[in-house]
Amino acid sequence: MKRYIVRRLGYAVLSLVLLSLTIFLLVRLTGDPAVLLVEPGASTEDLAAVRAQFGLDRPLWVQYGRFMSTLVRGDFGHSFYYRTPVLELYLSRLPYSLMLALAAMAFSLLIGIPSGILAAVRVNQWWDSAGKIFALLGLSLPSFWVGLVMILFFSVYLEWLPSSGAGSPLHVVMPAFALGWYFAAAHMRLTRSSMLEVLGSEYVKLARLKGLPEALVIAKHAFKNALIPVLTLAGINLVIMVNVAVVVETVFAWPGIGRLLYEGISFRDFPVVQATVLLGGAMIMIVNLVVDILYAVIDPRIRYEK
Amino acid sequence: MSKTWVLGLVGLVSLGLSATAPAEAAPEGTITWGVHVTLVSRWLDPAETEALITPFMVLYALHDALVKPMPAGLNTPSLAESWTVSKDGLVYEFALRKGAKFHSGDPVTAEDVKFSFERYKGAAAKLLKDKVREVQAVDPARVRFHLKEPWPDFMTFYGTSASGAGWIVPKKYIDKVGEDGFKKAPVGAGPYRVASFTPGVELTLEAFDGYWRKVPSVKRLVLRSMPEETTRAAALKKGEVDIVYLLSGPVAEDVKRTPNLKLIPAQPPGVFWLDFPDQWDPKSPWHDRRVRLAASLAIDRQAINQAETLGFSRPTGSIIPRIFEFALPIDPPPYDPRKAKQLLAEAGYPNGFDAGDFYPFPPYFSMGEALAGYLQAIGIRTRVKTMERASFLSAWRERKLKGVLVGITGASGNAATRLEAYVTKNGIYSYGVLPEVEDLFQRQAKELDRKKREALLHQIQRILHEQAMHAPIYELAFIWGVGPRVEEAGANLIKGFAYSGPYEDLRLRRQER
Repeated sequence: MKRYIVRRLGYAVLSLVLLSLTIFLLVRLTGDPAVLLVEPGASTEDLAAVRAQFGLDRPLWVQYGRFMSTLVRGDFGHSFYYRTPVLELYLSRLPYSLMLALAAMAFSLLIGIPSGILAAVRVNQWWDSAGKIFALLGLSLPSFWVGLVMILFFSVYLEWLPSSGAGSPLHVVMPAFALGWYFAAAHMRLTRSSMLEVLGSEYVKLARLKGLPEALVIAKHAFKNALIPVLTLAGINLVIMVNVAVVVETVFAWPGIGRLLYEGISFRDFPVVQATVLLGGAMIMIVNLVVDILYAVIDPRIRYEK
Repeated sequence: MSKTWVLGLVGLVSLGLSATAPAEAAPEGTITWGVHVTLVSRWLDPAETEALITPFMVLYALHDALVKPMPAGLNTPSLAESWTVSKDGLVYEFALRKGAKFHSGDPVTAEDVKFSFERYKGAAAKLLKDKVREVQAVDPARVRFHLKEPWPDFMTFYGTSASGAGWIVPKKYIDKVGEDGFKKAPVGAGPYRVASFTPGVELTLEAFDGYWRKVPSVKRLVLRSMPEETTRAAALKKGEVDIVYLLSGPVAEDVKRTPNLKLIPAQPPGVFWLDFPDQWDPKSPWHDRRVRLAASLAIDRQAINQAETLGFSRPTGSIIPRIFEFALPIDPPPYDPRKAKQLLAEAGYPNGFDAGDFYPFPPYFSMGEALAGYLQAIGIRTRVKTMERASFLSAWRERKLKGVLVGITGASGNAATRLEAYVTKNGIYSYGVLPEVEDLFQRQAKELDRKKREALLHQIQRILHEQAMHAPIYELAFIWGVGPRVEEAGANLIKGFAYSGPYEDLRLRRQER
């Protein structure tokens, strides 16, 4: 197991280096950030000064070298737009993103898992159809539309919730729902299919033949085994929620990492985009590694040594 | 008369005076804005001011300039009480205001002015430093700028929002805390000081009772970043914010219909126009003045204004905003499609022609569609091509856009600085130059007599109009939504300024404090 973890960590570092090169080149394909930092009528000298200030007048390999040399010291550079260290910006947004992601994940699991189980147990019945419609809506309704409708209804019309921003537990309710619904639908679909697969397995049939109560069969034998793929997906989804809740964070003026990424892309703020993508990539790799290790812990049949 | 009696009389007079003089009330209450942009740290430092008007939204609160646009005029003395220019136009001397001080309590001195200028690295920094030979702190209350050669636009760049070079920062404080320390805890000489700042999220400012001009009426200002227009409008309707910037179309209509809310159009110096890059190609139909004029007459400016900005923008016949120094106000051409078709026929295009691509200015795509529709109606056929903003600006600057494009800029300055960018040989967006325009432009750049300079610049604007080099559309209104708590929102108090200002003049309604 130890050798496996070391090997996986090695791959992760290599992947991050490749990711850094890819994102470094890709953001530069989007064009010159200087034109977005001045008024359209600004002079050529103003533009040249902005480029020189950020080292954008240097050859690409020099820029990449400088980026990597600071990166190994844990410095992601300064934001073009904010003029502050990117890591400082990222860390100031991280708590908000974590709070939103955890609330959205709790919502998506609380809704997605029970409705998925019900849909599997009552397959092709009313519950199953209702679950399918819920999932279809969650996956197909654009979250910006869901967000705006919620703002108009719960905030402007009913005056129950604050319309946007952060600061109190009430602020997180609408963005968490708007973000969580999409993922609840995905979790519901996966729980349903996973449960159906497990319910058709031999050991569940045996449990039923032994005369165990149906509730016990579902809760103890089926659900526990069906949960593994759902938790794997939830782990990955949590990282996605933290890093790319762009639309929801923008609609609700939620000060998270998704909005930071959106601003970075909008203003061609190369250091911000590079940092958010790299840190997001690192999070996904760590979560994947942890999930793989947990597999081995949960299921004794899984071993990685060979 | 005994000494005691005299003292008593003086005392009584003083008491009477203090009883009748309107004492300045202590600041009270909070005004909250929902702003359309992401608030960034660099806007707290005048040295970083790029060629954008947006940073001045913050600078007007936190800092002060020697001379700046104010309700009294474009170059209003602020931290300078007065300023003079030598006869040869080479020396500008500023007498500093007595009693002006920074939030730290230190007085504003000539050394601060010199330091701020030398530290400045924002828009037009190179231009200013190329033109200024030396900044001399004559004594603590007097500072002299020595130019290398006469430059009639010195005060346009130093004393307006065309640059941040004239905004003063405290040398002593920056020497003490360092550049990073200043960025984290900026200190200025403006009417408000920073209470807290979360970059990208929210800036809270608190009234500075030592501000020289007046003690602000409102105690706390909160600028909250809300990039989504519908969200800003919802927050305004719910009373979570008092003022929101940048509303348009249906969202603005909705706010207009809501009781207790009102729309206010600010009038920044932004003008839309149609540009015809192909006019410099003798083989292109656009080379013919009649074709360009036909395109201009084909546009119903008022209808587009109504649809896009609820009629708040001002149709115009010039690319120079009316509020600019040396602007020649020109009425918009009438909407006359019949005459437009006639002109096209006279030019040899009775059935119109294929004009290639039409590039709207991002993100004003619906306006672009409407403009292309008006051209189509008289037979000028185009294909609307939308581009991402930065790509559009780069392509325009590199002269890669052909056919028809929509231009706009809100850059500060005067008629000369605006013309330079678009119609002169050094213009970053010039596709071609009329020799007589270039000649007049070079002459005005050296002209120190204001009247003569104005005449030259007016002549240029007249030529551009007569030649129909552009089809100006309108001066864009920047629409705000304002809630019921605000008595004075500070809209249009400073001519041409898109945002609230001066902040010390803002007021809440009495019962709302």
